Amino acid sequence: MSAVTETTAAGNSERARGTSGWAYALPALLLLLIFFVVPVVGLLLRSVLEPEPGLGNYATLFGSSTYLRIFLNTFMVSAVVTALSVVIGFPVAWMLAIMPSRWASVVFAILLLSMWTNLLARTYAWMVLLQRTGVINKTLMNLGLIDQPLALVNNLVGVTIGMTYIMLPFVILPLRGVIKAIDPAILQAASLCGATRWQCLTRVLIPLALPGVAAGALMVFVMSLGYFVTPALLGGTANMMLAEMIAQFVQSLVNWGMGGAAAFVLLVVTLCIYGIQLRLFGAGRLGQGA
Amino acid sequence: MTTPFLQIRNIRKAYGDVTAVNDVTLDIAQGEFMTFLGPSGSGKSTTLYILAGLQNPTSGDILLDGRTLLDTPPHKRNIGMVFQRYTLFPHLSVGENIAFPLRVRRKPKAEVDAAVRRALKLVRLEGFEDRMPAKMSGGQQQRVALARALAYDPPVLLMDEPLSALDKKLREEIQYEIRRIHQETGVTILYVTHDQEEALRLSDRIAVFSKGVIDQVGTGTELYANPATRFVAEFIGDSDFLKGRIEATDGKSADIRIGEHLILPAVSVHGSARPGNEAAVMLRPERLTLSSTPVSTAGSLAATVKDVTFLGNNTHVLTETATQEVLSVRLPFGHEAAGSLRPGQPVWVSWDSSSAHAFCT
Repeated sequence: MSAVTETTAAGNSERARGTSGWAYALPALLLLLIFFVVPVVGLLLRSVLEPEPGLGNYATLFGSSTYLRIFLNTFMVSAVVTALSVVIGFPVAWMLAIMPSRWASVVFAILLLSMWTNLLARTYAWMVLLQRTGVINKTLMNLGLIDQPLALVNNLVGVTIGMTYIMLPFVILPLRGVIKAIDPAILQAASLCGATRWQCLTRVLIPLALPGVAAGALMVFVMSLGYFVTPALLGGTANMMLAEMIAQFVQSLVNWGMGGAAAFVLLVVTLCIYGIQLRLFGAGRLGQGA
Repeated sequence: MTTPFLQIRNIRKAYGDVTAVNDVTLDIAQGEFMTFLGPSGSGKSTTLYILAGLQNPTSGDILLDGRTLLDTPPHKRNIGMVFQRYTLFPHLSVGENIAFPLRVRRKPKAEVDAAVRRALKLVRLEGFEDRMPAKMSGGQQQRVALARALAYDPPVLLMDEPLSALDKKLREEIQYEIRRIHQETGVTILYVTHDQEEALRLSDRIAVFSKGVIDQVGTGTELYANPATRFVAEFIGDSDFLKGRIEATDGKSADIRIGEHLILPAVSVHGSARPGNEAAVMLRPERLTLSSTPVSTAGSLAATVKDVTFLGNNTHVLTETATQEVLSVRLPFGHEAAGSLRPGQPVWVSWDSSSAHAFCT
């Protein structure tokens, strides 16, 4: 699950071994070239060549308040989903790391089962739960907490809830690994040094778990930026997200130029975020040994 | 009588059916260096963790200056601790690690800086403030851990086998440092180890743990000269044992028959000594001598030399008695018999009976 950290580690050891093994990587590089680099370059070319050569598509994209609003929606929802996933995921990962392994494996099984369940089925399930006459609204009304059903679906609230649910395992799994690797004796030492429980958490546990938080958060944020199914089903037509917009350009409007431009902007943004994360947390900056 | 500084009162710790610590009681004076010595699983570490507050006793009490510590959580006990594993905070530099206990106590910056400098000087690591723990050797890390545990002037310092991960030479070097720091600061130290040499080198007094109880408490010399149990005799120093039977006893000393012909008079005896009981007679290898004729004033047994090993300042001779009991003998360098001994040679093993101790089960 910690694809990000694994790739950086692999990259480092590759560098350490020198360049003698290049030939062995050729098939993999060829595969990447044919199935990844060529299509992306093709998309980039279409975005600057169709309907006519030039940066017209990008000008339209950044010039229109409608499109900018979609970008804004996408970033906002992704940021909120990431924040919620970390806030909810951290305690769960912590619990998984310290609870007896028999119980941990039960929680683990629940997590994995939910991940293996069909995405559409899960998203429709949230639709049923969140709708005006759904279980959540009914319960809240029966408890007398609200008079009118809350609008939880067909808007960004619904998208956020649905996506947070789907993204949680991607935070919990890498974070659990990082927290499990922290020696409990370090926390005991902190406690004997006079740190309260809260200080142990904020000054020792969270800083030590930060690389795991960063890895999980990056994955969730990047996945959220390009997510399609959940926003399409739980979101409203008024608040579109980026992936929906690209789908519309390509499928309904058959405008490959605009679709390509939007996809390319998304790719550049993603790479920038990955670069920042590498800068901050890459290559064992915290000096935690292995 | 004044109240002892630190009192461990009838501490018991049970995990289900297993009793890790069984009714341990001990008084420790202020400024004392007390070592808990014993094999793994003897309850010494558990007792230390109970003192730290990281574990709760099943029953019993811990009193510091006459007040119970048990209702104080670990972070308020103001006790320093150095662990067996490296427990420096890996995300903080050496200076920040040492400052940590003062920062969580919200001390002013000037005071924190001064304490960090003082602590680093104490462990002789001046100039290492900005080093990250991962870039230091194990010995340096444990010295930083020691500095961190002493930075806030705790009245009691607990050390749980802090040197067991280090190699022998480095271990001796840091043992010397710990001794010096104990003398300089006057802090009361409770030190856990399974290494008898380490215990003898460092401690004012040693408490020997075995199977959850303290077998004996005393200075190294006391434990060596007058072991209270067979376990203490075996654990501290080398020892030989002879099987015997009690002929007559007054409870403190006994006449003990060894084999057919030999009766050892007035051997100090431990355990339930009753005439007819079996007893194990303990002799120290360096108190035994070898000769070609029996020595009349002391206990003597006929034996055969099995093996001779020259070890520099002493010669280690393995002998076997007529009753197939093995006695190892250490002869000092220059002993007249040492040079001429050959395997298979008959000898007399002799000792001064005041050096013998008998243990009854």
